[in-house]
Amino acid sequence: MFSSLFSTRGGSYSFVIFFLTTLGLLISALPVIVVTLMSFSAAETAAFPPAEYSFRWYEALWAQLSSDESSSAHSLGDAMFTSVLVAALVMLIATFVCVPLAYALVRGGGRVRAGMELLFTLPLVFPLVILGIAFLLIAESLALDLGIWRLVIPHVALVLPFVLRNCMSAMNGIDIEIEEAAISLGASWPRAFLDVVVPLMKPGILAGLIFALIISFNEFTITFFMYTIDVSTLPIWMYSRTVSSLDPAVLSLSVGIILVDVVMILIIDKIIAGRASLF
Amino acid sequence: MDPRHSSLRSFALSLPAIIAIAPFLGACFYIFRFSVSGESGRISGFSLQAYFELAEPFFLRSIWVTVKLAALSTLVVLILAVPIALVIASVRGAVVRRVLTVTILLPMILNLLIQSYGWIILLGPSGVLNTALRESGLISRPILLLFNETGVLLGLIQTAIPLAVFPILSASRAISREYLEAASSLGAGNWRVFYDVILPLLRPGLVSAASIVFAYNASAFAIPLLLGGRRVQMLGVAIRDMISPLFNWSGAAAAGMVLIVITTGVLLLATWLINRSTRTPKSTGTSAPLQTGGGA
Repeated sequence: MFSSLFSTRGGSYSFVIFFLTTLGLLISALPVIVVTLMSFSAAETAAFPPAEYSFRWYEALWAQLSSDESSSAHSLGDAMFTSVLVAALVMLIATFVCVPLAYALVRGGGRVRAGMELLFTLPLVFPLVILGIAFLLIAESLALDLGIWRLVIPHVALVLPFVLRNCMSAMNGIDIEIEEAAISLGASWPRAFLDVVVPLMKPGILAGLIFALIISFNEFTITFFMYTIDVSTLPIWMYSRTVSSLDPAVLSLSVGIILVDVVMILIIDKIIAGRASLF
Repeated sequence: MDPRHSSLRSFALSLPAIIAIAPFLGACFYIFRFSVSGESGRISGFSLQAYFELAEPFFLRSIWVTVKLAALSTLVVLILAVPIALVIASVRGAVVRRVLTVTILLPMILNLLIQSYGWIILLGPSGVLNTALRESGLISRPILLLFNETGVLLGLIQTAIPLAVFPILSASRAISREYLEAASSLGAGNWRVFYDVILPLLRPGLVSAASIVFAYNASAFAIPLLLGGRRVQMLGVAIRDMISPLFNWSGAAAAGMVLIVITTGVLLLATWLINRSTRTPKSTGTSAPLQTGGGA
């Protein structure tokens, strides 16, 4: 229905629009393209574009992954495991708290709803550096031994806005009559909620789950302040490997992460498409 | 039992989420409390000392660099994001739409380290740009694009494009095809339609996008850390340095408060501007940045 937002009749206008769009998309995608090409380089150095292509850096990565698991305290395997564990916990906790909240806000409405929505949007606009420092200060001055929770707690706060928004948009589409019908047919409220409302919210819940997973898995800034030798994630491992010079084996790991992210985005897009637009 | 009215149940249902966000609120309060602490290493007494100590050339220059880079990147991002949003709004094919979605969403979600690697490879001394320039004989020595403001600016622009595309795209839903047809049937050319019809209707989205991009880039950390090195001291990196080598906790907290005031100030200003402009005519379907946040 928006087919004439930019005209196809030619002329300088269409040219400028297409030129800028192409430029913008190119800039967006450039780092990913470059990293992907470089990871297949056969050369020792990071000269781009590579003269020859090979899988040597993928083999190097595999060797690293299968060998050092027990040797060093800061190994790739450990970091990968922690990353996945943190992301999974964050995803489950954030969804578990947001589903009932979305229900309460959509059914409750009014002034409280606007205030709560604003409150749960704050982590999105709050500078991550400050958040990282603040959590670090708290953890240090209270001398808490939190283990993996020192990453899970800040990550949960970070993903709440995304999860809540997806749950609420799913909840908005559920008619109150459906629920009332279940109750008038004899279902208790908890049954009506769990057996009628939650299944109807499923697309929003799934989209929220994946958003939480993907954001936690890729998070760098807060983790940069909060990690310890025992609790450290994949982005921190990559940072420690590339702080002085670029190790091409890290680039092949990056391609793996890019693939995971692309698949996740496609899944979210598929879940949301048709109901509401992703944007 | 009517599911409509039960404030007790609403509260019970909200409680887990409130517990989950409590550490975040605690962190916000803690950073404020630390910034007015009497001592720089721990919370004790009240003093504005940490704020007064910020009034030195190094920190003021850091604020200037931050505001300059955030403003420049916002300008470029808007120029690129408007055409992208207009094209996405017009796309119908499922495959094209999916490719565009991934291309736009990936920079927002993908680990910032990986994106920095791409820029390091491209802009570094042996990167593609320098090699090409040297082979064409334009330069004899590699030009410095990395570890200065140019590299940081490019990184900021690239990672913030999606943040701008989403609000502009949602604002573009206010543009109905009839407006455009009416305008062109009355003889307006493409550029005329763009300036007189499309841009004014996109304005709430543009304000929202600009404030979000500015706030996001002003508080950037990973990009200036990786692409700017020690030479581009944006606030995020300067604050980190106060903590890591200097152990000036209250100074970092005070600097953090300055950054929060800058970013929330811009966001509140944008929210006020949008509310003021959308109050009189009917709502355009775009909400203010503090309500829509990052978009996705």
